[in-house]
Amino acid sequence: MNLVWLALRDYRSYASLDFHPDPGVNVLLGENGSGKTSILEAIGYLATLSSFRRSPDAALVRLGADAAITRGEFSSGPSGAVIEVETPATGRRRVLVNGKGGRSRADVAGVVALVAFLPDDLDLVKRGPAYRRDYIDDVAAQAWPAAATEQTEYDRVLRQRNALLRRDGRSADGATLDVLDERMSELGGVLLARRLAICSLLGPAVSELYADLGEEAEAVDWYYLAAGIGPVEGQPGAAELAGGLRDGLSGARRADLERRTSTVGPHRDDLVISIGGRDARSRASQGEQRSISLGMRLAAFHVLTERRGSAPVLLLDDVFSELDASRGRRLVARLPRGQVFVTSARAEEVPLVGKRWRVVTGEVTAE
Amino acid sequence: MYEAPVQRLIDELARLPGIGQKSAQRLAFHILHIEAEDANRLAGAIVAMREQVRLCRRCFNVTDSEECTICRDLRRDSSEVCVVERAQDIVVVERTQEFRGRYHVLGGSISPIEGIGPDQLRMRELVVRVDDEKIVEVIVATNPTVEGDTTALYLARLLKPLGVKVTRLASGLPVGGDLDYADEITLGRALAGRREL
Repeated sequence: MNLVWLALRDYRSYASLDFHPDPGVNVLLGENGSGKTSILEAIGYLATLSSFRRSPDAALVRLGADAAITRGEFSSGPSGAVIEVETPATGRRRVLVNGKGGRSRADVAGVVALVAFLPDDLDLVKRGPAYRRDYIDDVAAQAWPAAATEQTEYDRVLRQRNALLRRDGRSADGATLDVLDERMSELGGVLLARRLAICSLLGPAVSELYADLGEEAEAVDWYYLAAGIGPVEGQPGAAELAGGLRDGLSGARRADLERRTSTVGPHRDDLVISIGGRDARSRASQGEQRSISLGMRLAAFHVLTERRGSAPVLLLDDVFSELDASRGRRLVARLPRGQVFVTSARAEEVPLVGKRWRVVTGEVTAE
Repeated sequence: MYEAPVQRLIDELARLPGIGQKSAQRLAFHILHIEAEDANRLAGAIVAMREQVRLCRRCFNVTDSEECTICRDLRRDSSEVCVVERAQDIVVVERTQEFRGRYHVLGGSISPIEGIGPDQLRMRELVVRVDDEKIVEVIVATNPTVEGDTTALYLARLLKPLGVKVTRLASGLPVGGDLDYADEITLGRALAGRREL
């Protein structure tokens, strides 16, 4: 999988950019604030239709412009796809995949695979369950494009249920809640089955890569904790999981009516990570957490390479400044061959050989 | 800003679904340049539709009399009812020429986000009809969305205790198309709802 060209109009600080990267390693060098990360963000935006900086769409539009246009062609072996996104400062964005109207994440996930290593990846281990759920869902959506639509459908029914609870509280119509519970169990069961399937592929890869990355002898392990069900072992089917959710939801009905929100379901789950038996979130050192998060991203890369038959596009945003030299070299050694985009403020800290690009506000030139 | 009468029309047109500022301007200037007679006919058609059209007292389809033409048609099978979200969905089902029963327009689907619950939809009226009209089968043709599916499930739970058969339209592949043009979700549903040959 590689990006053949990228064209930006009124995207962040770029009035206009046409970028033809190398199919191998691309190192983007420039001062802080020169717009290196914006290029990586734009590549990620085409692949996921969201900003990895968690910026709202309107923030992507260059100041004073009506809309940002992000276009790019990805090729995978003999097949290719052109993705175009028009992001207006206000209103809905428009997505075209090969000139035809796409609707959702599933449409782009079908044609692009991408893994990004970000400076704040420590959040994956350190912060709340939402970071880990997003990580799992993102890999699942790229492994099975249908999973992206399943996630959207579950979110939709959850929003409907929460709207009913928020508005009516204890007087919410029981029959309507029953039906929403039923739909939420079914869609939640499907979502859970996907998450467990992807976790069973990622888990062993994370443990193995973690062991490879550092000198630490302690083992990394994880389990999936389903809200209202408990820790889930093995891979139960969607129907069985839906059954568990159905019981969980009816058990939580009273509490949900009181608290006017859904307290049970995949939107409250967590992936509990441990290192040498200690909770990684609260009782691991910063260095250990950094290595675990690298292991998680690398595992995503390996699993997706395996599933899709070619290496995803890889983004490394200012990753090496956070790593000591030996860990950086070990990370590079574990990267399968494919197209890579690296940003850095200092050329000497990037242990990768490849085409070098100089980024100066609004322009990218080959060195 | 245009002169007040022009701007007023542009604003009104821009409130219509699917019409933005630019289209509204184009339409307004088009209307400004056509014959006065044509403009009057357009205005008259809008007024007349609003005055003459009402809802069928039985199925809530749009009609210009007490009951719609479908409900009045004695050749139609009164034991089968097809439930749709909106009146315009009836036309879509009618075009198939495959359904010879009657209809029931719910007026939307269950969506707490928009403040629509069963009480805002014509569910009670449907229950009454099932009883009064000796309906044997209710075919739920709500949209295949989260809201449409939720509404279908609600209807099934509401009506089954009355001893009526409740069915849902199948989701699946478009006919005459290639398998590789189907999106994953549609194909997934078609796979889940497969039939033995």
